[in-house]
Amino acid sequence: MSLLELKNVSKIYGELHALDNVNLKVEKGEWVSIMGPSGSGKSTMMNIIGCMDKPTKGEVLLDGVDIAKESKKNLTTIRRDKIGLIFQQFHLVNYLTALENVMLAQYYHSMPDEKEALEALERVGLKDRAKHLPSQLSGGEQQRVCVARALINYPEIVLADEPTGNLDEANEEIVVDLFHKLHDEGTTLIVVTHDPEVAEVAQRMVVLRSGKIAKEKVNDHFTGKIRFE
Amino acid sequence: MSKRKMFFRMIVASLLRRRSRMLVALLSIAIGATILSGLVTIYYDVPRQMGAEFRNYGANMILTAADEAFTQEDAAQGIGRIAKSDLVGYAPYRYENVRVHESPIVVAGTDPEGAKKTSPYWNVDGEWPAASGEVMVGANVAESFRLSVGSTLTVSYTPEGKVQKGEALEDLTADYKITGIVETGGSEEDYIYMSLDDLAALTKEQGTLDVCEVSVSGGADAVKKYVDQINSSVDTVRARVVKRVTASEATVLTKLQALVLLVTVVVLALTMICVATTMTAVVAERRREIGLRKAIGAPDSSIIKEFMGESMMLGLLGGILGSVLGFIFAQEVSTRVFSSSIRFRPLLVPVTILVSIAVTAASSLMPIRSATDVDPALVLKGE
Amino acid sequence: MFLRMIRGTLFRQWKKMLMIAFTIALGASLATAMLSVMLDVGDKVNQELKTYGANITVVPKSASVLNNLYDMEGDSSGAYLREDELGKIKTIFWAFNIVDYAPFVNVKSELDDGSKVTVVGSWFNHHMDLPTGEALDAGVASMRSWWEIKEGEWLDESKTGEDADAAMVGTVLAEQQGLHAGDTLHVKGEAGERSLKIVGIYDAGSDEDEQIYAPLNTAQALAGIDGCVDSIEVSALTTPENELAERARRDGPSSLTVAQYEKWYCTAYASSICWQIQEAITDCVASPVRQVADSEGAILEKTQLLMILITILSLIGAALGICNLVTASVMERSSEIGLMKAIGAQNGAVSLLVLTEIFITAIFGGVIGFFAGWGFAQIIGHTVFGSAITMRGMVIPIVAVLVVLVTLIGSIPAIRMLLRLRPAEVLHGR
Repeated sequence: MSLLELKNVSKIYGELHALDNVNLKVEKGEWVSIMGPSGSGKSTMMNIIGCMDKPTKGEVLLDGVDIAKESKKNLTTIRRDKIGLIFQQFHLVNYLTALENVMLAQYYHSMPDEKEALEALERVGLKDRAKHLPSQLSGGEQQRVCVARALINYPEIVLADEPTGNLDEANEEIVVDLFHKLHDEGTTLIVVTHDPEVAEVAQRMVVLRSGKIAKEKVNDHFTGKIRFE
Repeated sequence: MSKRKMFFRMIVASLLRRRSRMLVALLSIAIGATILSGLVTIYYDVPRQMGAEFRNYGANMILTAADEAFTQEDAAQGIGRIAKSDLVGYAPYRYENVRVHESPIVVAGTDPEGAKKTSPYWNVDGEWPAASGEVMVGANVAESFRLSVGSTLTVSYTPEGKVQKGEALEDLTADYKITGIVETGGSEEDYIYMSLDDLAALTKEQGTLDVCEVSVSGGADAVKKYVDQINSSVDTVRARVVKRVTASEATVLTKLQALVLLVTVVVLALTMICVATTMTAVVAERRREIGLRKAIGAPDSSIIKEFMGESMMLGLLGGILGSVLGFIFAQEVSTRVFSSSIRFRPLLVPVTILVSIAVTAASSLMPIRSATDVDPALVLKGE
Repeated sequence: MFLRMIRGTLFRQWKKMLMIAFTIALGASLATAMLSVMLDVGDKVNQELKTYGANITVVPKSASVLNNLYDMEGDSSGAYLREDELGKIKTIFWAFNIVDYAPFVNVKSELDDGSKVTVVGSWFNHHMDLPTGEALDAGVASMRSWWEIKEGEWLDESKTGEDADAAMVGTVLAEQQGLHAGDTLHVKGEAGERSLKIVGIYDAGSDEDEQIYAPLNTAQALAGIDGCVDSIEVSALTTPENELAERARRDGPSSLTVAQYEKWYCTAYASSICWQIQEAITDCVASPVRQVADSEGAILEKTQLLMILITILSLIGAALGICNLVTASVMERSSEIGLMKAIGAQNGAVSLLVLTEIFITAIFGGVIGFFAGWGFAQIIGHTVFGSAITMRGMVIPIVAVLVVLVTLIGSIPAIRMLLRLRPAEVLHGR
């Protein structure tokens, strides 16, 4: 059974078909990127997978559970337990330190554990900046805190929405590097982006156009160990 | 780290690191609490403070003889029933008919120190008599006999009742120095005032009192209570309430207190709304943060709990601050208006703090609840 | 375009603007209510203090000196005020401030058992139609408001007439004589005798408890002094005495300069009202009753000071509240303003836009708040004093200046922040 399966999913806003009969399977440990121009339904798809929205029609099976049928409250729980989110605008709580921002995710999930949170920051190379506030961190550093926060509860899927959209090239590199590392460790990654460079390093690339999957391409060169140079 | 520890860590972080915003909110809460504790303190202290002002009207209790006459000892016995702290002053009076330049006139023997306290409204030109041989005359007396401060007054007294057959009717005469002229607009202006001892010396008898004026603080009920006490325990004197003074004092004080109470309620209601709008603004500012918390899996209940914790903490701090400032304000008012210090009411501190917490929490509940309705996807997507 | 932008904010952001307007309205209403009450509290408390009775007594000139002394001897001084002049008191300059007055005659009388009593003749609720067209019910019913009626009821002149054979008896006398309401009491004066029906028995808590109160003409008939009055007690609203009034009283009004005299005469000092009464009534001396006049002054002053301080506190509270919200709501719009700056708006233009918006909102809120505050003041007036609070003209400019000033001060930190704003940062969503 696939970790995530979208079966005939449609999202309709009045006349507009944001998603139109989409079918998609993501296996455990896979790294999938979703590409497409603005208005192609990327965000809608991301929201549905991230349990922040429900489809108008179709089934979304996450770990065998149809999240399209769950209540809002249960969706929050599922999101908390199974999904780690990374945003384009980082979205850190600006009055909490890097460490506390990571611990916030632990707090809502189970128990805050300072040591574990510090280890997570170490993994993204920010151990020495743990006590800094978001305003004292660069964009790349903030995004790495976001990654650490997304990973802290060992989610089934890490869902990144334009993770490099607000970053310069050097930081983009660092973040993509981090994704490689995550993939190597067996994390399931779904990256929504319209940056082909970021999309192409994934194992599999799905291109959306007008709410439909226009193209699916498996990266032949992908070995899993190759770093983005 | 326990969940609770993290909870407080977040609240403290929010309060300390968002300093300027929180100060703004704290300020408005503190103002509300200040007004609450300040005005309530004044509300409770107004009767006491104003009561002292009302003593300007003079005696609110008089003692008269139960039967024929009463002595200073009887009066003292009656006064003894009044608690020291409630007794403003008392003045015994003994009236005798005397003659000045062959005109009949009334002389009142009293205790000048006591009279000063029971009749603070007397306007004395010159000094109150202090030493023996000094007298104070009423303004009418001074005018009709063309007397002025410093002049000498000859008073003659004809002993009554003691005239035996064959005995010559001999007048007792003495000279007094006028130290003051009293003006009251009332019948007091027709009398001569001297100390009881001087009067006793003039008449050559100790004599008995006609009346004793007493000024008691604490309103009509307190006066009534003492009157009943004196009447039931001392049988030589009869105490009476001076209704004109006590009844009017009660009316005016009740109105004043009602005024302060109503003003307190209006001001408080308005500041509560002010606190509520401020809290609404503070919460509205953080919609995005609430959306983020929801996105990373926070249930609504948990978000409400955190934000409520934060606003209750603000309420606590504001309440403490307000208690202190309120007391300072009340003290300031008291010294400025009544030139006396105010009584500290320890009970008011927890009450202020609790009310302040309750108001802040209540006024944040609505905006927080509505903020948890935000769709995290919408909030986090840019705008 | 400017107007269009402002219209845009006001209508599209009406929720936020409504909140600012609401806060300003609250502050303005608080200020209006407190100021109105504060300015009127003097008059209101003064009215309440009238329960203390007369603060001016009027006696015949020749009698004023030794009246009481002769009374001691049981004589009549022979000097009287004229009853037909009583109405003149309501024609003096400060007539409006005279709330109540009553004439008195004291008649030494004898009861059937030979005991001597004083019959006091006075008005009870004497109805007067004044030349000004107003009507006034004056007399002891209102000037002895502290009397407690033990039995029966107040004597009502409108029912019994001014020379009715009716009377009220003090509780001490009633006890001594075993009198009750409804009984008839036979009294003999110097010039006549009457059988008086006892309408009520009162407890005054003073010497009056040993007296009989009868209608004025009844008492005059007992003494044979028709048209004569011993004294008049006047209850007037007065301004606390100051140095000027003190001087006028001590050295006489002639010692004042013309300007001072004008000021003194046209201020409701007890002394100037007394002076005017003396001008109106032939051969009389009017003097303030210090016990009442002085204490009234002190209590009035304290009450006013108390209200001023409370008002200041609430004004500060209202001002800070408004400041807070204006600051908060302007800061909220930082991204919008960042955008405007990014597309080339000058600092001045941005500030002008924000200020104009806020002021339109403030005026709107201020006007609503003013009327709300007026309502609050009336509620306070009716609840506490049972009468409306007079609206002073000066409240309007004070509140207006306050609202403008506070709004301006509240906007300053926000505008300074907006000016420092770097468009790039804002648009990057930091």
